[in-house]
Amino acid sequence: MSGGPPKALPSTGPQSLRDMPHPLAGSSSEEAVGGDSTPSPDLLTARSFGDKDLILPNGGTPAGTASPASSSSLLNRLQLDDDVDGETRDLFVTVDDPKKHVCTMETYITYRITTKSTRVEFDLPEYSVRRRYQDFDWLRNKLEESQPTHLIPPLPEKFVVKGVVDRFSEEFVETRRKALDKFLKRITDHPVLSFNEHFNVFLTAKDLNAHKKQGMALLTRVGESVKHVAGGYKLRSRPLEFAAIGEYLDTFALKLGTIDRIAQRIIKEEIEYLVELREYGPVYSTWSALEGELAEPLEGVSACIGSCSAALEELTDDTTEDFLPVLREYILYSDSMKSVLKKRDHVQAEYEAKLEAVALRKEERPKVPADVEKCQDRMECFNADLKADMERWQNNKRQDFRQLLMGMADKNIQYYEKCLMAWESIIPLLQEKQEDK
Amino acid sequence: MTESNFSLKKIEISVSEAEKRTGRNAMNMQETYTAYLIETRSVEHSDGQSVLTDSLWRRCSAFEWLRNYLLVYYPHVVVPPLPEKRAEFVWHKLSADNMDPDFVERRRIGLENFLLRLASHPILCRDKIFYLFLTQEGNWKETVNETGFQLKADSRLKALNATFRVKNPDKRFIELKHYSDELQSVISHLLRVRARVADRLYGVYKVHGNYGRVFSEWSAIEKEMGDGLQSAGHHMDVYASSIDDILEDEEHYADQLKEYLFYAEALRAVCRKHELMQYDLEMAAQDLASKKQQCEELATGGELFSIWGVTTQLFGQETPEQREARIKMLEEQIKEGEQQLKSKNLEGREFVKNAWADIERFKEQKNHDLKEALISYAVMQISMCKKGIQVWTNAKECFSKM
Repeated sequence: MSGGPPKALPSTGPQSLRDMPHPLAGSSSEEAVGGDSTPSPDLLTARSFGDKDLILPNGGTPAGTASPASSSSLLNRLQLDDDVDGETRDLFVTVDDPKKHVCTMETYITYRITTKSTRVEFDLPEYSVRRRYQDFDWLRNKLEESQPTHLIPPLPEKFVVKGVVDRFSEEFVETRRKALDKFLKRITDHPVLSFNEHFNVFLTAKDLNAHKKQGMALLTRVGESVKHVAGGYKLRSRPLEFAAIGEYLDTFALKLGTIDRIAQRIIKEEIEYLVELREYGPVYSTWSALEGELAEPLEGVSACIGSCSAALEELTDDTTEDFLPVLREYILYSDSMKSVLKKRDHVQAEYEAKLEAVALRKEERPKVPADVEKCQDRMECFNADLKADMERWQNNKRQDFRQLLMGMADKNIQYYEKCLMAWESIIPLLQEKQEDK
Repeated sequence: MTESNFSLKKIEISVSEAEKRTGRNAMNMQETYTAYLIETRSVEHSDGQSVLTDSLWRRCSAFEWLRNYLLVYYPHVVVPPLPEKRAEFVWHKLSADNMDPDFVERRRIGLENFLLRLASHPILCRDKIFYLFLTQEGNWKETVNETGFQLKADSRLKALNATFRVKNPDKRFIELKHYSDELQSVISHLLRVRARVADRLYGVYKVHGNYGRVFSEWSAIEKEMGDGLQSAGHHMDVYASSIDDILEDEEHYADQLKEYLFYAEALRAVCRKHELMQYDLEMAAQDLASKKQQCEELATGGELFSIWGVTTQLFGQETPEQREARIKMLEEQIKEGEQQLKSKNLEGREFVKNAWADIERFKEQKNHDLKEALISYAVMQISMCKKGIQVWTNAKECFSKM
């Protein structure tokens, strides 16, 4: 490893997170880890983000040690730091350079993933790998498995819905690339997900397939336990705040669906308008050929209509390529969020059931048995993670939609400005006095 | 106002009102028609004030009679056309109903325009029947009938598709007829497509109105985003409703094009008239030539082989007296024929001269009017673009506050 952080570290190279002492554990004898092991606010700077002692194992706490509350408060504090501008970032990921690969069995597209980071989880400061959609799908599944208490961003749709779209067309590939880029950036921005081992492997491994085969099972304790929660427990009632989130997501997805339909309808009408304009403009040209003095003015009008047609085509293309995909992404997002909510419900249901069972046993116990406490842990962790992610999601959503809708307005303004320019430019031509031909 | 100092140049004509009426027609059946109020004002030199001199109601058919009369008496003039009776080239929102108030209103404007065209035509403005149309309330129809214009009308002019083999037409008229056919075809096509364009544009704008509703509903579940969404939605509603006025204005442009579509017909009528005159001339010349030939044959004793000669052979010889009589008759007919040919020739040349003068006048008017129409169309488009920019800029601002 070339050039690690200045502090003396016990080892080089990637380490299994299990070997690392938990920052919230009792005082560590491994001073080499770098000073205080208790996270004081001073240390919670972005620089120390890279320090091992502040890296949380993926979202959970070792059983029987620090209380769950501190992990969530730590999360909150980390989140706040995240909101500081990009200068404090230490991980940058980009998706670009799509290439078509033609093999005997299949043809597919790969994208270049470029990673730049000063985090210690990365051996090198920079990585460049090639991935295909399948690999993104794998990553997402792994994240869902290993971080079930968190909201995982959606991927663009796997299969092409409308039959006639060419999945190797420039427009389709570009739309997909943008969505995949967005996907990775959302993970990058997440204080917990960005440190996920699968994510790291995805960004760095030369041969991802080899890793896939190994089947890395780095699940957190919470992850593991959530995975094994049987669905047999029925939840009595969702706590108010989660019920509110559920209702919100339902209405939100509904409204987005309506907007999607409206946008599609607008595109359809605009295309039909375009078809007529394409016939309309040339008729002025035909007429111009009959005339003498009017020939130039008529030809000018024909050209004008042609310019407006071109501008309109750009507008419809932009709406299809930039506006619709983002809407659909958010619909997928809310769908996956609703299933996380359901998982949370199951965890709570299990806890409540076990608690009830204990109460019914009517045993005089000084304290709640360990397994019920584990359940409570799980539930409270889940709730905390979800709340934090929900808040982050709301902020991002607001920014994303502000940008999306402003973009839509902008495209329309540009369309009208192009048309305006065309028509204003022929006024002098129309007003010109001409010699009779 | 007496006829002698009648100068329509100092007159203001307006078709100020349109009224639906019911009455009984010639077959004593009840019918509904529209009557139009024509007001004539004379403009005083000194102070530019106008005084109402005449005011009467005329129904559509009266306008048609006037025009038909002018077509007969001024065949060398490109007679201004009447506006359409039925709404054609409509886009779906416009009613095709002739009783629709918008249509009646546009018709009123069209009829006013027709009268103004007549009043500004150097020849037509002096016509007595036109003057009476504006001033004589009762019995105007009878007066027109008395001119006998219907009898004078050449029915062949109406047979548009009949072809006459004309050997030596004036090339310019042939070209002009060709031009008027092409003009008719291209303007029809233009109006048809424009109507479809209007339809589609209407659709685009109206669908945006749905954004208004959904943004409003969405804003209800949002905290910080709510206000921005709500107010942006309002702008989408404004956008959607703006198309009604825009398309109404465009109808005026369509009407200007329609006038010239119908003018093409008037142009063709003049070419047709020339064609017919030329045809009659050539027929008369041909007839004269054959009569001359007959005469010659008779005079030379029928040695030349001819149908005439064969006939006499079939029916027996005729007496010299009979032959003399026939020659004399022919000579008279030839004399008459020569006179007629001379006058027809003269007529023909006069017609060509006068018609071409009016055609030149018409060309200038057409170029001027259509240029103006194109300019006003461009101005309409500019206004539409500016409105669009305004609305979307407002919406963008609302979004930025989300």
